Amino acid sequence: MNSIFLPYKMGDLWEVKQKDPEAIILAGGTGLLVFLREKGLHPHTIVGLENLWELKQIEMQNGEIRIGAMVTHQQLLESPVIQAQLPGLHQAVTVLGYPPIRHMGTIGGNICTASPAGDTLPSLYVLNAVAELRTPTASRLLPIQDLIKGPGQNVLGRDEILYQIRIPVPSPSAVSFYFKVGQRKALAISVCSLASMLQVAEDEQTIVDCRFAWGSVGPTIMRFPGLEKNLIGEKLSLNKLREFGQTAASMVSPITDIRGSAEYRRMLVSNLPSKMLQTL
Amino acid sequence: MTGPLTPIGTSLKRTDGPSKIRGLEKYAADYYPANFLWADVKRSDHPHALIKGIDLSHVRGLPGVLAVLTHEDIKGANRIGVPEMDQPVLADQKVCYKGDPVVLVLAENKAVMQEALHKIEIDYEVLPAVFDPEDALAEGAPVLHENRSGKNLLIGGAIEHGNGMEAFQVCDAIVEAEFDLPYQEHAYLETEAGIACVDDEGVLEITASTQTPWRDRNELAYALGLPVDSIRVIAPYLGGGFGGKDGITVQGLLGLAALHSNGRPVKMWTSREESFLASTKRHPGRVHYRVGCKEDGTLHAVSCRIVLDTGAYASLGGPVLALAMEHAAGAYRIPHALVEGFCVYTNNPVSGAFRGFGAPQVLAGLEQIIDMLADKIRMDRLEFRLKNVVSRGDETGCGVWMSNSTGIIPCLEKVKEHPFWVQQEEWVNQAGPFKQRGVGIAAGLQGTGYGPMVADIANAKIELLSDGHFRIYSGVADMGQGNNPTNVQIAGEVLGQAADYFELLQPDTACSLPSGSSSASRTTYTFGNALKTAATILKERILTRACNMGLGIYAEDLLLSSGKVFHLTSGREIPLANIAASMSPEERISSYAYTAPVAKHPDSAGSAIRAAGFPHRVFAFACHLARVEIDALTGEVEVCDYLAVTDAGRVLNPQIYEQQVQGGAVQGMGYALWEDFRVENGEVLTRNLASYILPTSMDVPDILSLPVETVEETGPFGMKGLGEIVINLPLPAIANGVAWALGRHIFTSPLTAERILLTMEKRQAE
Repeated sequence: MNSIFLPYKMGDLWEVKQKDPEAIILAGGTGLLVFLREKGLHPHTIVGLENLWELKQIEMQNGEIRIGAMVTHQQLLESPVIQAQLPGLHQAVTVLGYPPIRHMGTIGGNICTASPAGDTLPSLYVLNAVAELRTPTASRLLPIQDLIKGPGQNVLGRDEILYQIRIPVPSPSAVSFYFKVGQRKALAISVCSLASMLQVAEDEQTIVDCRFAWGSVGPTIMRFPGLEKNLIGEKLSLNKLREFGQTAASMVSPITDIRGSAEYRRMLVSNLPSKMLQTL
Repeated sequence: MTGPLTPIGTSLKRTDGPSKIRGLEKYAADYYPANFLWADVKRSDHPHALIKGIDLSHVRGLPGVLAVLTHEDIKGANRIGVPEMDQPVLADQKVCYKGDPVVLVLAENKAVMQEALHKIEIDYEVLPAVFDPEDALAEGAPVLHENRSGKNLLIGGAIEHGNGMEAFQVCDAIVEAEFDLPYQEHAYLETEAGIACVDDEGVLEITASTQTPWRDRNELAYALGLPVDSIRVIAPYLGGGFGGKDGITVQGLLGLAALHSNGRPVKMWTSREESFLASTKRHPGRVHYRVGCKEDGTLHAVSCRIVLDTGAYASLGGPVLALAMEHAAGAYRIPHALVEGFCVYTNNPVSGAFRGFGAPQVLAGLEQIIDMLADKIRMDRLEFRLKNVVSRGDETGCGVWMSNSTGIIPCLEKVKEHPFWVQQEEWVNQAGPFKQRGVGIAAGLQGTGYGPMVADIANAKIELLSDGHFRIYSGVADMGQGNNPTNVQIAGEVLGQAADYFELLQPDTACSLPSGSSSASRTTYTFGNALKTAATILKERILTRACNMGLGIYAEDLLLSSGKVFHLTSGREIPLANIAASMSPEERISSYAYTAPVAKHPDSAGSAIRAAGFPHRVFAFACHLARVEIDALTGEVEVCDYLAVTDAGRVLNPQIYEQQVQGGAVQGMGYALWEDFRVENGEVLTRNLASYILPTSMDVPDILSLPVETVEETGPFGMKGLGEIVINLPLPAIANGVAWALGRHIFTSPLTAERILLTMEKRQAE
């Protein structure tokens, strides 16, 4: 018989985890339930975190935005803090799944699932997000890219959970984007996505800072800091963005799957940076 | 409380709406009879293999497993299908596609079922398989059904009209292209489902999600070896059909299960994955067109070669091919035509009926070719069509006589005067950065009914109940399209009753009358005609009886209205319940058999194609327009606006009409842009709704539907079938818009973002 626990206190969570170290954490279920059905698995113990109030908060503190691991995509969508401070992440959740999935799914689940197609991930990468992990006795901070090891793999220990995400508030002059190419507009897994953050000088042309992170074109989210550096000091132009995209495309090794071919994905890696000019 | 009358032409609210919205209406999948057993099947792992042995030793005797059945347990012919009975209920000698059912299991619960299915061992001798229909026609190809003289050719033939190919010699402009059309999955919300049991009198009773209760009963009798009168089939409302339930899905397995369940009811309900694997699809096909015209824009000759892949079994492949061929020249007067068609067996999943029934495949090609030809002679694309389309009395290129209402010209004219068409250039030129726009149109037709070789008959039955209400015994299933509420409207119009004076009985072979299938754009047309006359007969009986009862001397002085008969001059009235009380039960029931008219002219098609249903007599027409915008960076296509102008005769209920147009157009957009059911070496790659991409509400625009109301003299109150015509044109209309935006046509669909971006890239490279 399966057991499902929905603890109200962190202490109760740790207790369950201690009794059954194999207990599976259910953050929202939009990934886990599909996975269990597909594999025909019937785990002995499932622990849902939905009643842990402290994991469901969004707050600004010391120039940081802290998002609890159990904050749903819908919460992100509705949050004035996210809308005002992290428009790129906000854009990502507007195109994530569809309303029922956004009400069920959580940012922590999206991160720990570690899919290269996860819609919040590229934005978190360009925001230099840091994950706070907790065990019953300790906590540690890890940059998001160090938490995610590969497709479906994270470095969480056996008795460790993702507690919250900390994001430094970006410069008010930075503009951010999230472009997603899915097979349709809603309820789609991305074929290729791009989050970017761009800061230009007062001349409205010279690039002061830029960050780019692509989804669905490698084992994890792909960022090329070396390439980003090359753009700094350059004038923003279609040619520059094209050239930048083409170089990035030559550095990724996407796969062909049911959603798209490697060839198409590489073209998207190349083209998506130019999309900034469609919206700027 | 008596509701208001809802005359023909007004939007009677769907009588099935409240019960469906509240979740009270039971679909076949909703039945869980007491003490029921689950039935499920072990399916073939190979696309083509001989069955050498089946080892059930690990399964028989498993606790919770009540029966494990193979073909040896079937007493009848073990073959289903119409018109070809070639598909086994359970495979006997061999399996012909990956998904063929081999062993049927009855179990107490799903966990035991999974274990049992897992433990069945089948010893196969793998045979060479063939997956491409052209390969399957080649000499030496593996043969699926050895008893067939035509080897893998299910049906083939030609339609010749005028001088055929010679006519191209005198054409001033000729265009040629070959189109690849994909599978389309019906993807109805309710997967195949039903329950069955054998009652105390030995009658096998099946409640199933089916478009064809009457045909199912005959097929089941033959396949399972039972007398027809010991089978009862009940068809509740369907959670979608679209042709995918035009014939037996789980009914054969359910029937067999119920015969071996020790009297317990059985239930079967396919998972989405199983439904994708084992249900029929729209035939994928290759359509090669050559069309020629004179320099003044007069169409002169068409040749078309159609190859359809019907998969492992015939299903309705023959009639689908015949309908494709009949529609291959579209709604155009073309004096010379040669249309060749081949429907071919392969070791792929089975293809069968799907809304449009062959017409979407050919019109996808023809309507793009017509655009290309117009461009070639520098003629306006709409004027070119207007110049060549049929009027009543004309023949199409395939020699099909337009003997009935023919409204294609008004459809084209409505598009011509619409701002979407008038302002096409301005709109296209307003595209933003990295966006490319185009406007596309397409025109076409769709036959109503079965054609001349199958009796196209509906038997309607209506009863005056003792309480003064009426009961309509529907003979045709309602799969969501709304024919049942329309039945209420038709009977209400004849009998002068408000909708709440009717109750509707869903098709049940034990109490309603055989009326054919819910398909072929015939459902309301054929049954509605029968019902209208049945109701008229009943009305006369009621009025006559009212005279007998002293209300008046002549029936024409009486008015039948909600719940009563009223004498106009005296103001006296008699409640219908009183009249019912004075009638015998037989008198209170009226039934009428209506036979749809068929075309006996012409003889342009060969005998095989005629036998498969060529030609039709009553046609619906339409012209669609799509405004599309392509994202040049991603290849994504947005349909910004969509206009569907339809001639389906008089509109009986504007709301249901609109729903049919919207639904059909969206399903057609899915076929055009996203739905790509992929099969590789007989293996389904798009296994469920996560990878098979249906459009969502976010992906489609508001659809503007404008009716052209011709009056079809043979249809009830002037209507003709609407369900299918709508799906025929979104693909070519959108493809023509995309071709404008890209400057070239893409001959393979669906027009996915990937396909479009790769095309654009190639173009840049050239």
